[in-house]
This record gives sequence, structure tokens and C-alpha cells, in this order.
Amino acid sequence: MENENRAKIIAGVVSRLVVGGIFIYAGYLKAVSPAEEFAYAIEGYKIVPAWLALWTALVLPWLEIYLGLMLTAGLFTRFCAAGAGLLLLGFEALLAQAWLRHLPVLSCGCFGANGSTSLGVEFARNIALLIFAVLAFRFGTGFSLDSAVKGP
Amino acid sequence: MWRTKIARKIVIAAFLILAATLITLLARRMNLGPVRAVPAFRASGPKTAEIQIYEYTDFACPACRAAYLQLEDMLKLYNGHIAVNFKHYPLVSIHKWSFHAAVYADCAGEQGKFGEYAALLFENQAAWGQAEKKPEDFLDYAGKLKLDLAAFETCSNKDETIKRVQLEMAEGEMKGVDATPTFFINGKRAVGTGQLLDAAKHFDNLIKKS
Repeated sequence: MENENRAKIIAGVVSRLVVGGIFIYAGYLKAVSPAEEFAYAIEGYKIVPAWLALWTALVLPWLEIYLGLMLTAGLFTRFCAAGAGLLLLGFEALLAQAWLRHLPVLSCGCFGANGSTSLGVEFARNIALLIFAVLAFRFGTGFSLDSAVKGP
Repeated sequence: MWRTKIARKIVIAAFLILAATLITLLARRMNLGPVRAVPAFRASGPKTAEIQIYEYTDFACPACRAAYLQLEDMLKLYNGHIAVNFKHYPLVSIHKWSFHAAVYADCAGEQGKFGEYAALLFENQAAWGQAEKKPEDFLDYAGKLKLDLAAFETCSNKDETIKRVQLEMAEGEMKGVDATPTFFINGKRAVGTGQLLDAAKHFDNLIKKS
């Protein structure tokens, strides 16, 4: 029983760090690049007009950084894990519609202009991240600021 | 009790958000983002050269013309040790046709004549730069260089070509480029030919060190 609990705590912490770390990395790469670059990638999905793509490109990287940071630190863990999960679901929907519509998306925009892979690979990566986000939601409060503030 | 805990968490969260924002903005200002490669036709010198120069230029700016000639000399002088990557930064508020010039230069580049076209633009910048109506010069230069004019025109209207130039302008803005020519020499900023020449005094050391 104790071993099972320990395994859950470890899985939760690791998941939190993985999702948080990737969100920080992805957000940082986009935040230190021109917003227009990410906006062009968003335009490629042909789902929002250009002006909204630019606004999204201005806001989303910061949201990713903040969510990632909170998750890594374990602050408002469940709320942030749920937020990250919802974002990932949104990304999956975007990728899926692009794939179904055979859109010529050359760069998914996930990690800025560099290091983009095919839609299929991005889709699979997001599913893996979604699983981690669920684990972080369920078991991610160990070794966190949440538990430190809560006290023993 | 729970309100105190929530308040504590909010304070910590606010601190983390503030720190992350400041660090990211600082990284942006200090040019710590990924280096964006230029198309191959706008790069001169080896990719592995010890001295990597990214030059933000406006074809209608006289100082850029002078810098262009300086860089040509440097490429000869430090042959094999220096790479010059040309980035467009047309100052559209003061130079009406700079953006067009940048787009056309890229289209000449698509046909393997970027350097030659850029030289013509710099050489004749007084002629086309001051024009009231869209100058014919852009097409004349293409004709002089025996480019495929139909492909040249098609390329100049292509979204991809226009966006590439717009993106470089946005990139320059983000890096705080507000004058041309601005150089990033191994990541270090230099504005104008004077600062470029100052930086060049250390090139020998840089080459020796590596």
C-alpha cells in the first residue's frame, strides 16, 4: 500500500515536471521570438483571422510559461494541470482539423520556428503530454509548494 | 485559515510570474533567443566561421551602402573566418520603396543573383529611393541581370516572400533595432559603420582564440 502511494507520488511529481518543463521551454522559445512568426504558424491552421492569430501569438507563449512554472513549482497544481490539459486538447483539435483538411501546415509552431516536426509526431507528443497532465492532476501535489503552504 | 493559505499561494504565484516575465523580457532584449537563419542566398562565408555577423539593412539608407562596401572588404580580408548574414530591415516610415527593394532583392536571390541585385540597389539608391511613383528601376535591374522577369514578378507578389521580409522587420524590432545598419557580431550589437570598424579591431583576436 505504502509502495503504491510512493509510486503515485513519484509519477505525479515526474509528470508535473515533464509537462511544466515542456510548457516553459515551448513558451520561452516563442516569447523570445517575434510574435508574427508564431502568428504565421497559427494562420496556417486556417481557423482564426490574421488579427486574432496575432493576439493569440502574443498571449499564448506567456500563458504557457506561467502554467509551466506553476506546474513545476507545484502551485495551484490541480488547477494548472487542468489548464495545461485543456490547452493540449485545444492543440490536438487544431492539429486534427489541419490533418483532416489536408492543410499544408509546414510548421506546427509548437516550439517556435525551429524544431518543428510533422503533424502526426506533434499529435502523438501531445497525447503523451496529455497523459502526463492527467497524472499531474491526480497525483501531482507531492513535493509541491501547495503541500509546503498547506503544512504537515 | 484557508483564506490565509490561498493568499500566501497567490503572493508566491505573483512573485513567480513577475520573475519569469522579467527574465524572459531580459533574455529577449539581450538577444538570447534562437538565431534565425537567413536564406542561403543572403549568407556569405562559411557557416562555421569564427565571426558571425547578422546585418540589419535598408537598401535606401546611405550608411547601409557604406557598410555593405566595408563588409565586402572584410569578407575578402578575413576570407574563410567571417560569415555575413543579410537581414532586411527596411525603414518604411522614411524610405517609401525600401520594402519593395527588399522583396525584389530576395526574388533576385531566388534566381541566384542576390549579391548582384543588392549591389545595383545600393549603387543607385538615390535614383529609386526618392521616386514618387513605384520605380521601374527594380525591373530594369532584373533585366540587366538577365533574370526571368515573369518568375521575378510572381515571386514579388508571393505571400511567402513578403512575409519573410515582414518577419525580419518584426525580429529587428524585437531586438531593439532602430537604426540601420545594425550588426550583431557574434551576438554583440554594433550600430553603424564606425562601431562595425571598432568591432573589427578584435577580429584577429577572435580568430586566434578559436
